[in-house]
Amino acid sequence: MTTGARAATAGTASPRGLLIDRAWSRLGDAVAPLSNEAGRPLARTVKLILDPLVLRPVRHPEFAAGAVAAGHAEALADRIVEAGPVLAATAAWFLVLKKARRRAGITDGNPQDLYFQRCYELATVHGDPRLSPNAADRAGAVLAEVHDQDGPTVAGLRGFVTDPAHAPELARLLAEAWSDRPAPGGGATGPHPTAVGDFLDTCATKPDQALFDVLVARRVGARGAAELAGSGAARAHGLSDRDRPERPDLGESAAKQHLPKPFDRSIVERLFVPLTTAHRDALDDVPALVRQEIARSAGPWQLADEAGRVVLVLGRAAVAGLAGEVGCDAAVRLRGRWEREAYVRRALRMPSAVPESVRADVHGVREAYLRRLWVRTHGRELRRETVPADGLWDVLDGVLRSVILDQRDRLRSALERRAAG
Amino acid sequence: MRITRAAVVEVGAWPHPERAALLEGRGAVLAWDVLGDAAPAARVHDVDRAADWLWEAYGDEAAAGVLGDAAGITPAGAWPAGRALAQLAWLEAWWPASGAAGVPALDLSVLRAERAVATSAVEHLLDDEDATGRALAAVPADPVVAGLSDRLAALAEDYGVVLPAPVASRAEFALAAGGDAAGDGTGADGVTVHSGADPVDWALVPAGAVDAAADARWAVVRRGGATFLDVAVPGGPRPGVPLAARFGAVEVALDGTDGLGRRTGRTPVPATVLLLPPAARRLTVYAPGFAPPAAPDRDPDAPSRRAAIIAYARTRPDAPDATLTERLAGRR
Repeated sequence: MTTGARAATAGTASPRGLLIDRAWSRLGDAVAPLSNEAGRPLARTVKLILDPLVLRPVRHPEFAAGAVAAGHAEALADRIVEAGPVLAATAAWFLVLKKARRRAGITDGNPQDLYFQRCYELATVHGDPRLSPNAADRAGAVLAEVHDQDGPTVAGLRGFVTDPAHAPELARLLAEAWSDRPAPGGGATGPHPTAVGDFLDTCATKPDQALFDVLVARRVGARGAAELAGSGAARAHGLSDRDRPERPDLGESAAKQHLPKPFDRSIVERLFVPLTTAHRDALDDVPALVRQEIARSAGPWQLADEAGRVVLVLGRAAVAGLAGEVGCDAAVRLRGRWEREAYVRRALRMPSAVPESVRADVHGVREAYLRRLWVRTHGRELRRETVPADGLWDVLDGVLRSVILDQRDRLRSALERRAAG
Repeated sequence: MRITRAAVVEVGAWPHPERAALLEGRGAVLAWDVLGDAAPAARVHDVDRAADWLWEAYGDEAAAGVLGDAAGITPAGAWPAGRALAQLAWLEAWWPASGAAGVPALDLSVLRAERAVATSAVEHLLDDEDATGRALAAVPADPVVAGLSDRLAALAEDYGVVLPAPVASRAEFALAAGGDAAGDGTGADGVTVHSGADPVDWALVPAGAVDAAADARWAVVRRGGATFLDVAVPGGPRPGVPLAARFGAVEVALDGTDGLGRRTGRTPVPATVLLLPPAARRLTVYAPGFAPPAAPDRDPDAPSRRAAIIAYARTRPDAPDATLTERLAGRR
């Protein structure tokens, strides 16, 4: 774990953040709209522009996170400085888009998330907007594209499932999918605990894509779903309130604030969140979405792709260490995060008693973890995004961080509600 | 600063939570001791992630020492951006507003607005990559402070957060009521047969629920042939928090407020309460749902630590390195 950083002390390598910061400061005021008040690149400037579009560590592993060897430090700075004109134009486009957004009265979404990469595209194709006679029109077109996204809608979903012409077919599909359900685990029982542990031992430091591929090929995810079959098992996983998951209803509507546990959601409820978040345009059309979701609901983990099921098995094994024994490096790290939280809560003067109203959310962190991991995996499956092995630790760790921050928010708002009387 | 190395790399001594100004970075948590002026202590749990930014906190050389195998480091200079964010987190949790000690209350909208701006300055190194958006969402209202309001508005626009309009009334953030610390603390009608006072353990009540410096007072009162326990504790700038007190085995809700802004409660007790040994005549004030009524604070350092924090807070509004929130304490 320390090898990359140890090299830094030999005077032969520098922190990547330091190099980026210095190169960025050479770009001057022209990139101020992509910088914070201190003149540093915004977190999303690095994440959405510099990393994927300028430095591209996938193609240039010498620029990857951590320490950058002295021999590459100059090359990294050069890449950023060479990109100066296009970054300056990107910054100018961002101002144009923000102005157009204000004029259009749009308040949805985070402008950095939504527009940064679009601005880079505009800058690459059209150069500086101040020299472009129809910059305002182009900005308007981008806004329209981002905010009036193509793709399926909740209204379309509702219309489709309530249309009497489709209802019998969908009901039949649902019945068949569930009556033909393969035996849990697909006949084989138990995962390959060694392989799971091996992957979790190295995923934070030296992620092994080949090993992950082995887990998928051996259907470790589907096998691991066998543990969901017993009475009360899905509930213990935080995925259902029932003793045994039942066939979902087709459903007609959904309320984002009151969604049941994942396995207890109707088909419509399962599709509701993905249809109301960004990247809707990456989804299939409504009829295909519904038919796929029906089939998915009958699969192991109620997911369709084996890779996603493997992620759930990995998450389950890693998060088990929060209460029990820690068997692998990933579990040690998750447990470390959880134990830090106790000190952080004391230092932030968070409640040490948990009011009844939020007790279920605050205890049962393992259940909350698996639930969130399922929802995220499900969403990625719908958008056909795959997680490469070297992104998996960020997923496993990020879900726990998200669960913890959510708990803090709940504790705080419970406190403020009580204080408000 | 000393460094110890195990699964977690530990830099310096971890301060008591009440004096810790925290910054949760990617791969490392930093904690400044508000009563010390030293560099922050650190717990580095992911060296690779922390390597990207630790140089900002400690300087290039000291950071390389932390990430390498040095047994100790000498941090280079201060890090105002990180310190300011950590200080604001501490202020929200532990600022000891007290009429009795002359520590003015903070304005919550100024604090949260300043925190959002300070968060964005170090966003690139925070563990929570949505920290700025989260901090913006926690701003209760535009603080209406020149220089801060416009920065806040620009930030909100960049992150697509719609801020609530300014609030007309500031009553809820009013100065802590002046406590009558010298009186017998009860003003009871009847014959007081026994009385006493105990400090409130800060860890048992939310920030601002009571006057941080004033004692809670109790009295056993005889009236009309019955015995009552009266409790009063000077209120803080956040009067709505439900409070209760425990005295021996007696539980009393502090659901009244007297003319001095004190939170008060009265409950009938058996006369045998007078037979409690002196060590058991301890009053524990707590906020139900916030903390269980732990045994009276056995932490022998608590009185001196809290006195030092109150003394520190009194210096803050005029300190050269104060946040805007501290400078504006009680002045608007």
